[in-house]
Amino acid sequence: MLSRLAARSAAVVAQQNHGARVCVVAPSRLFHCSGQHGRPIEPLPEEGGKVRMGVFPEEWFQFFYKKTGVTGPYVFGTGLLATLMSKEYIIVNNEFIAGGIFVGFVVYCVRNFGPTVATYADKLRQERVDFIDNKKGRFLTDCENAIETEKKEQWRAEGVDYLFEAKKANVAMQLETAYRERVHEVSNAVKRRLDYQLDVENTQRRMAQEHMADWVVNNVVSSITPQQEKEAIAKCIEDLKRMAKAS
Amino acid sequence: MVVSLFSQFDSPWLFSIPLVVLALLVPWKLFVSSGASWAGTRSSVLLESLLGMLMNQVMQPLSKKGFNWVVLLSSLMLMLMTLNVIGLFPYTFTPTTQLSMNLGLAVPLWLATVVYGFRNHPTVALAHLCPEGAPNLLIPVLVVVETLSILMRPLALGLRLTANLTAGHLLMHLISSAVLGLMELSVVLSGITLFLLVFLTMLEIAVALIQGYVFAILVTLYLDENL
Repeated sequence: MLSRLAARSAAVVAQQNHGARVCVVAPSRLFHCSGQHGRPIEPLPEEGGKVRMGVFPEEWFQFFYKKTGVTGPYVFGTGLLATLMSKEYIIVNNEFIAGGIFVGFVVYCVRNFGPTVATYADKLRQERVDFIDNKKGRFLTDCENAIETEKKEQWRAEGVDYLFEAKKANVAMQLETAYRERVHEVSNAVKRRLDYQLDVENTQRRMAQEHMADWVVNNVVSSITPQQEKEAIAKCIEDLKRMAKAS
Repeated sequence: MVVSLFSQFDSPWLFSIPLVVLALLVPWKLFVSSGASWAGTRSSVLLESLLGMLMNQVMQPLSKKGFNWVVLLSSLMLMLMTLNVIGLFPYTFTPTTQLSMNLGLAVPLWLATVVYGFRNHPTVALAHLCPEGAPNLLIPVLVVVETLSILMRPLALGLRLTANLTAGHLLMHLISSAVLGLMELSVVLSGITLFLLVFLTMLEIAVALIQGYVFAILVTLYLDENL
């Protein structure tokens, strides 16, 4: 902070264009551009260090152990407390009593309800972890399913040539069928037309034959005179008589 | 050194530096969000759970329009609770025993709710001055009474907190002095007084928490009236 102040004031003096030369000291580094930005931080341990009597770290007791043994820290603590009380740094007055009661109550609550509260806190924390894990788990499952689907699609893509061949054959067969149907249709239509023409000719011929036969008959009948008819009838009667006699 | 009964309420100064600022910063520095674990440590998880409970309490009386105020009021509640409880430790200073501080919290918050109501719907805010179903003859008197009661609210808010905490601290001071004084005369009596002091301490912790809660909830109710 003071370096920034110095730089700012030096810049102001420089701007005032004094006769004296001013050496403006630029800030030595910008933190967010320097190598110290984004320095990896060591992860803190999940559980705190061991303590004795709730507040005194275990390391203090280890520090004393080599020189004074097991009882050393306790003797030191007692002596320190006694010294402070005798020098009246810690005064035993009404507030000491009240404070002692309050601290005792706090210690009682911590010892009695501490494990329950800790279990509850761990449960809340675990719920959060489980939620994220479930999310992660679902994401992993989705990714695995996606991989399986992708592999299946690749397998399908390999068989797509056979599929196309089968489809081509199918289409060719359909085309062939359609072609044969049309050819059959065409032949039927042509046959019908030809049959029609044949029938027309036959009918014409038959009609001509009948007409001719009728014409001949009519002409023959009309050419028969009554005298010829009588003679014919008389001849027939004579023939009949002769046959009757013969029989 | 205790000069008198009320010297515990003197605002502490050290070489012209007001230490009350440090006392007020205690709740801010006490509740730190720990970055030790992405899922949170025990303390941060418990603090979040506590804040969630406090926010629920603040949100209950409020309609949706008042939810903008929830963060302010729940943090106010937590700050008051913390200051009150920390003040019960020995040789500490409780900022909330100072009427100036409590009025300094109560007046702006109360005034904000009143101004909010008068600014957004002045007719409705004025209509609150006359209770429904009142007899016509009493309306002028009721309006005056309601106005006075609204004006008394910040005073009541600040004084309630000050008086409760001051009285509690005084009582603890007196009874613990009695324990010390009776020790020379009669150990049995001193023991009984000490026993009483234990219950008084538990009561004071409860009062400290409840007074913080009551302050914030009353501000919430005043806000709800004006939404």
